[in-house]
Amino acid sequence: MTRILALLDKDLADLRQNPSLFVPAALTGFFSILLPFIVAIVVPLFAGERLSDSSDFEIVVEASRNQPSMRGLDPEGVIQAWVFQHFLVLLVLTPIAGSMSVAAHSVIGEKQARTLEPLLATPITTFELLSAKVLGSLLPALMLTVSCFCVYVAGVAIFAQPGVYRALFTPASLGIVFLLGPLAALAALQLAVCVSSRVNDARSAQQIGALVILPIAGLLVVQLMGSFVLTGPVITFIAIALLGVNTGLMLLGIRLFDREAILTRWK
Amino acid sequence: MLTASHLTRHFGSRLAVDDVSFELVPGEVFALLGPNGAGKTTTLRMLAGLIEPSSGSVRFNTDTMSPQTAPRLRGQIGFLTEAPGLWDRLDVRRNLLVYARLHGLPKPNQAVSEALDAFGILDRAGDIAGQLSKGLKQRVALARTLLHKPGVVLLDEPTAGLDPESAREVRELVLRLRETKHTVVLSTHNLDEVDRVASRVAVLRTRLIALDTPAALRARLFGTRLRITLGQAAAPFTDTVIATGFTDVRSDDSMLSIAVNQEPSSAPLIVRRLVEAGADVYSVVAEEPRLEDVYLRLLESENQSAPPTRSGPPTR
Repeated sequence: MTRILALLDKDLADLRQNPSLFVPAALTGFFSILLPFIVAIVVPLFAGERLSDSSDFEIVVEASRNQPSMRGLDPEGVIQAWVFQHFLVLLVLTPIAGSMSVAAHSVIGEKQARTLEPLLATPITTFELLSAKVLGSLLPALMLTVSCFCVYVAGVAIFAQPGVYRALFTPASLGIVFLLGPLAALAALQLAVCVSSRVNDARSAQQIGALVILPIAGLLVVQLMGSFVLTGPVITFIAIALLGVNTGLMLLGIRLFDREAILTRWK
Repeated sequence: MLTASHLTRHFGSRLAVDDVSFELVPGEVFALLGPNGAGKTTTLRMLAGLIEPSSGSVRFNTDTMSPQTAPRLRGQIGFLTEAPGLWDRLDVRRNLLVYARLHGLPKPNQAVSEALDAFGILDRAGDIAGQLSKGLKQRVALARTLLHKPGVVLLDEPTAGLDPESAREVRELVLRLRETKHTVVLSTHNLDEVDRVASRVAVLRTRLIALDTPAALRARLFGTRLRITLGQAAAPFTDTVIATGFTDVRSDDSMLSIAVNQEPSSAPLIVRRLVEAGADVYSVVAEEPRLEDVYLRLLESENQSAPPTRSGPPTR
């Protein structure tokens, strides 16, 4: 554990010196936050028509108004709460985008800077090395997610109808942000670290790791279509599946991390 | 302390190191010499437990290096890699602090300060590593290598690219390590450096071409010669020396060069004969061919005896 913390501490210190790596994540977070506000607040404001005036949302109002978190809201508030709840899935992308650029550089960066060989000459094991690399990408990304969530809640409290923000504190909403988000990010960046230890180009690692974004984007689409809802049991099931995937990816990462190939084939 | 037994390493079909064996004792500075691609770095990496031999073994005291024992044994070895390998954006202290913690040192901050102080760079602890000169980077890397007080120190071209002053500091460090009974393995192209610090030399070209002390290698390849400076022309005294029983005698101006088998016992006899013959003997010294000549002679003879390429099927 000491060795993981030692390397993690170094990676975080290194990251503080190179904050530009987090620009893509910050941009993703910003647009993830902005998009639902455009849909629920800005567009109706400029169109001069409330969302509840449209018959398209009647089903939403009917299905959602009995939820405990939406009691007491008028139809416009219910629709706003529904939009802000469903777009929370986009916030899951923030830690993934954040971790991806960092994770993609994790092993490749060490190789290119020729710092990997002295590191491997210490008693550090592959598991410790990869764990530190994964955590070094995940922790800053999670901090960014929490920050984005706080901004999101504050924005909803200020711009949406009074009481709408309560819909963001349901177990399902919190599960999406604080359980599925980190687990999906962990899977994405483990994939990126795995690839990072096998290729010479950080872009390859980034592109392959970004494949994890596809199912999440799909999740958002099917949710908005109303054919699938992320309820508590569904979130729990996905979380368990992601735990399994993450365990498998760690084992795969250890297996794929070929010290000899890295030292002898990389120049 | 450190034993390499029949170390062989293939990379695919290419044979990088072939059946290399040696045994090192504490306080020994062992130099690995050889042209580029001779297998020096691969040998060092096998000794450091970074790569596994295809066959053969590395033994460290009573432990044999294996994937299971390597992490523990690496804690007793200091390996200076060819590149300093510092994290450029971090300061010197933090660079070393990471390694102190990776090695599990009980007082990492104190250990870092001591290591930096030993290399005279404590005042540079706050400097960003990327802004240091090459010589300073190498000193930081050396401090990192010795941070955990390893018994065995592996140095891969430690003076490559350094200015003469920095190179001398590295040599002095190696000599200090020898005095403190460290086992040092040094890979280098700098033959002068080897001559100054190495107890034994291994000339490597995939396999071991030669392994001995520098003096013994010189004697083996060039024999032992005496150089005698006279107060007059040397040529008239050539026959005198030949008559004493030494057949390989060369003269140049006032100097005689004589091949002898056992220099200490031969010198008084030759000097006596020369003085009896009327020569004024100014000085008698043992001739030492440069290590570079020894090295080139070894490679030359290897070129003549070895097949043009060496390869074989991978064993692993």
